[in-house]
Amino acid sequence: MIESYLVDRMFNNTPFVDEMATTDGQISPNWDKMARYYERLGAERMAQYQQEVARQLRENGVTYNVYGDPEGMNRPWMLDPIPMIFGSEDWANIERGLIQRAELLNIVIKDLYGSRQLIRDGFIPFELVYNHKGFLRQVDKLKFEGEQQLIQYSADLARGPDGKMWVLHDRTDAPSGAGYTFENRSAMTRVFPDMIRDNQVRKISSYYQTLKNTLVNLSVRNKENPRVVLLSPGPTNETFFEHAYLSSFMGFTLAFGEDLTVSDGYVWLKTIKGLERVDVIIRRVDDVFCDPLEFRGDSHLGVVGLMEAIRQKKVIVINPLGNRILENPGLMAFLPRLCREIMREELLLPSVATWWCGQESELKYVLENIQNLIIRSIYRDGVNKSVFGGELSSEELYQLKEQIKKYPYLYVGQEMVNFSTTPSWVNGKLEARNAVFRSYIVADSQNNSYKVMPGGLSRTSPTKGVFIVSNQSGGISKDTWVLGRSSDTTPTKTKVEKAAPVVRNILPSRTGEHLFWLGRYLERSAYTVRLMRMVLRTYNEVEDDIHIREDEELSTLMRSLTELTGTHPGFTKKKVLRNPEEELVSVASDVNRIGSLAQCLSSFLRNAHSVRDRLSLDTWRILDSISEEFSALRGAHGNLARVYQSLDNLVIKLMGFYGLNIDNMTREATWHLLNIGRFVESAINNCVVLRSMLTGHLDVEASKRLMEDTLRCNESLVTYRYRFRSNLELSGVLDLLIVSEDNPRSVIYQVLKIDEHLSSMPASENETLSPARKKLLEAITKIRLCDLQKLSTLVENKDSYAHLSLFMDDIIGLLKETSNLVYEKYFNHVSSRYSMIQTSIMPEI
Amino acid sequence: MNYHVNHITDYIYQSPASLCHNVMFQVPTDLPFQRVREFSYSIFPDPSFEVVRSDFFENKYIYFSIERTHKKLTVIAESTLELLRPNWMDVDPVSTSPWEEVVEWLKSTDAMNDIRQFYLESDHVKFVEGIREYALQSFTPGRPIMEAMLNLNNRIFNDFKFTPGFTDISTPIEEVFEHKKGVCQDFAHFSLACVRSIGLAARYMSGYIETLPPPGKPKLIGADASHAWTAIYIPGLEWVEFDATNNLLVSDKHLRVAVGRDFADVTPLKGIVYSSGEQKMKVSVDVRNLDNPPIEAI
Repeated sequence: MIESYLVDRMFNNTPFVDEMATTDGQISPNWDKMARYYERLGAERMAQYQQEVARQLRENGVTYNVYGDPEGMNRPWMLDPIPMIFGSEDWANIERGLIQRAELLNIVIKDLYGSRQLIRDGFIPFELVYNHKGFLRQVDKLKFEGEQQLIQYSADLARGPDGKMWVLHDRTDAPSGAGYTFENRSAMTRVFPDMIRDNQVRKISSYYQTLKNTLVNLSVRNKENPRVVLLSPGPTNETFFEHAYLSSFMGFTLAFGEDLTVSDGYVWLKTIKGLERVDVIIRRVDDVFCDPLEFRGDSHLGVVGLMEAIRQKKVIVINPLGNRILENPGLMAFLPRLCREIMREELLLPSVATWWCGQESELKYVLENIQNLIIRSIYRDGVNKSVFGGELSSEELYQLKEQIKKYPYLYVGQEMVNFSTTPSWVNGKLEARNAVFRSYIVADSQNNSYKVMPGGLSRTSPTKGVFIVSNQSGGISKDTWVLGRSSDTTPTKTKVEKAAPVVRNILPSRTGEHLFWLGRYLERSAYTVRLMRMVLRTYNEVEDDIHIREDEELSTLMRSLTELTGTHPGFTKKKVLRNPEEELVSVASDVNRIGSLAQCLSSFLRNAHSVRDRLSLDTWRILDSISEEFSALRGAHGNLARVYQSLDNLVIKLMGFYGLNIDNMTREATWHLLNIGRFVESAINNCVVLRSMLTGHLDVEASKRLMEDTLRCNESLVTYRYRFRSNLELSGVLDLLIVSEDNPRSVIYQVLKIDEHLSSMPASENETLSPARKKLLEAITKIRLCDLQKLSTLVENKDSYAHLSLFMDDIIGLLKETSNLVYEKYFNHVSSRYSMIQTSIMPEI
Repeated sequence: MNYHVNHITDYIYQSPASLCHNVMFQVPTDLPFQRVREFSYSIFPDPSFEVVRSDFFENKYIYFSIERTHKKLTVIAESTLELLRPNWMDVDPVSTSPWEEVVEWLKSTDAMNDIRQFYLESDHVKFVEGIREYALQSFTPGRPIMEAMLNLNNRIFNDFKFTPGFTDISTPIEEVFEHKKGVCQDFAHFSLACVRSIGLAARYMSGYIETLPPPGKPKLIGADASHAWTAIYIPGLEWVEFDATNNLLVSDKHLRVAVGRDFADVTPLKGIVYSSGEQKMKVSVDVRNLDNPPIEAI
């Protein structure tokens, strides 16, 4: 395996630089142990291990989202079982270079938002800064305490033909990937523990500890126990997985813009207990989306008034807004001179050769050599993509040149370099792929220095010979190993360990709302599954020549399904009853139909994803398998047998989800809200099904069977037989399903549960009984006092069990009101719709 | 000249707002030919939080938030300003430097960033097709900069038709150029684009001007409006102001409130309001000449 790779490298592609193979076809010493290990494994076991790695990641729920692709949500994260390896000497140089670069960029950023002497002295061209959208005039002269204004920094590196690591990009706004890096390492450690040990792979955890220390240290207030919030753009963001993962792992509160509000100059987190002050925000929202008042008025990802809170130094935002100016590739052309001038040293890590078109001779060079250059805008966004001049048609080249001539200062040309390849496990064999390594550097504010993670995130291109690497275009990641012992012997301080627990208790209202809905959709899905199974079973038993609408049991069951799911008119139409299969499949699997099982499950999964930082790892695994079942159900394509099979699986998995939470969730607000949602839903469903199944005046046989079905649907048939030892009687069924306080399937049991969980929620002061609990008390009393005999009496002139029907209506009404009151009390301040107003009419002069 | 200005902005919300955060650029500052004698402002309902700050361009602005339910927001800014006759009024436009020399000087590092930043494009000032050519008809080779600018001002005044209601703040400069219609902001933005496209530094001036009623007619309260014009940088004279809407060199009748790259930097009032409905805005501006009061309405 290794041999053929070496041979392939030797004869296929000369000249080349490869991470593992030396130019004379040997294995580089750093890769030696690993190469031998893989050789011993052989291709077959290698493939098994790769699957094992993939399974680890999948089960940990490691995903990322691809924009603009309907199937792009929650894609599994891809990890190559072959890592990227750096020897200790090689790494020492990289580390020194990265620290130097971070220090240099930190000086530059302080100057650009300070005196701008570097521009005045001609070291940085004026147009390069003032024309860059990352130069935020609103943050001018704002700095927080300490010399370090660049806190988190990442550089993308690749090895050039000279064997040195070159910098391709600087990431200084909100660098991502540190969470994936940690997951990659965890997965590799589980699958290849001995290899990691044998190679003395350095641990990466100190990076996260330093980050945490620094955030705590930077907090202006409350240094002992600051409230740190990770501001995420939300679940559709590319790297949402790691926002949830990192906040959970580091003890931060995950928040979206709508969870935060500015009042009194402070930033507050809206929690179910009210507003909680925020000290530090670590942001994953891009700079200009952070405050719609001062930047993009159309942003709904930010916090209105955040800039003012920053000005008042009442909150610290990391990285500070404005740092994106450093991502400007045009700066690369000026760094070597800046480094010499400011730091009196040579720049250790070369950047890719860069020509900024804002200068005459450079512009000329770029225009003349455009076919051999990568053209990049100085401002990276979705619109301005890098292009390789050599791949453009002559028309496109002309357009590009015109554009550059018109706005020369907005473009750079960069050299197209053949970077090193690394062995990658692709389709069962080793292939050489270009790799880009993302490093992670963090300010250690206690020691006023920068720390480099000994490792990072390497990525390879999905296809051979493709050089531009990104996850959006399907890149594959690699764990990155730095071999040998650390040169840094200073012990990491663990000052913040004690800070974490308190922070964890905060529950943002929005998270609470998701949990409540998670509970409701869980129960609605489960109930729908159970009733649907009943319908299908009965349907499969009917004889072919019988008209369904004459079969009172089946038609009642089907109408009940319509009632429960709210998919009217559904089976209340005779025509649909005549040929029910299409409707059954639609109610089961049409995700676009409101009330359908598929739609219910999709809402369940969506809410679960939004609170994934609150759910245990094992719960994610169950979610993953529910997700698979959901896909199977959607793919049933009118095949009722497959629908039936999915239903069988789903019932168990949904209960498994609940069971795991019973075992794992701490009994705090998260748990209570999930259960309030769950029991509100089950109590309502229960009432709806009782009403639709048992209130019609049917023939004796059909009534009996429907009573049986109702009991079975509530998993109470056995209990009934055991308890009553008699034929089915309506009053007995109602006794068991409505008023028996010891039957977990009875309405009263469920209503009491809602009350129990509500009573454990934070209450307002001087409030003996909240409005929601008052409603519940009314429902409880009505149920306890109800006259079962009357409810199970047929009202002759109505030809139905009208008392029962009215009673159920009454209870359903009370439960819905309770739900609204819960909503109002805990989630109401979630409402955060806002719009921009401004002087819009042009003055008429 | 001494003036008194009263600027009232009302926002009426269709459904009550629970919270709003606002920024207002309505605070005049002392400038070379302007002294602020008095300034005061009031906001209804009372803000929960308010602060006066300086921006990147050294304008003063007010940030405030209102954290209780309200259906209407009223902001009143009142000031008394003394305007002096600017030094450029006594300059013979023909005696100023050829405009190309100014362009060259601006490229050098001698011209500070504070000045050079005003020759770049900005959100509302784009170098659209044909604009440079339009400018070059006035800025002919070797022509003294002030003379050329007065000529440009005059051409804009003659070529463009003052048409209230044709444009709003989102109207792109192309459209103004194509239809040759607009109001003062449009003309200011257009002239900024002209001069910046040929490499000169020019900034947007936001303020007020007194409107005089037709002879013999009384002046109506609130009938004035905020105004916008252009300043270009001429070494030795610094920022010289031109009003394309009225085809004149600004003297002591233009009250300055804020300067910026364009309207977006100095929007008189903008905010984010937490309310689900629509909003309506009403602005009333009243400018009084204190030295020479016009006939009051009866």
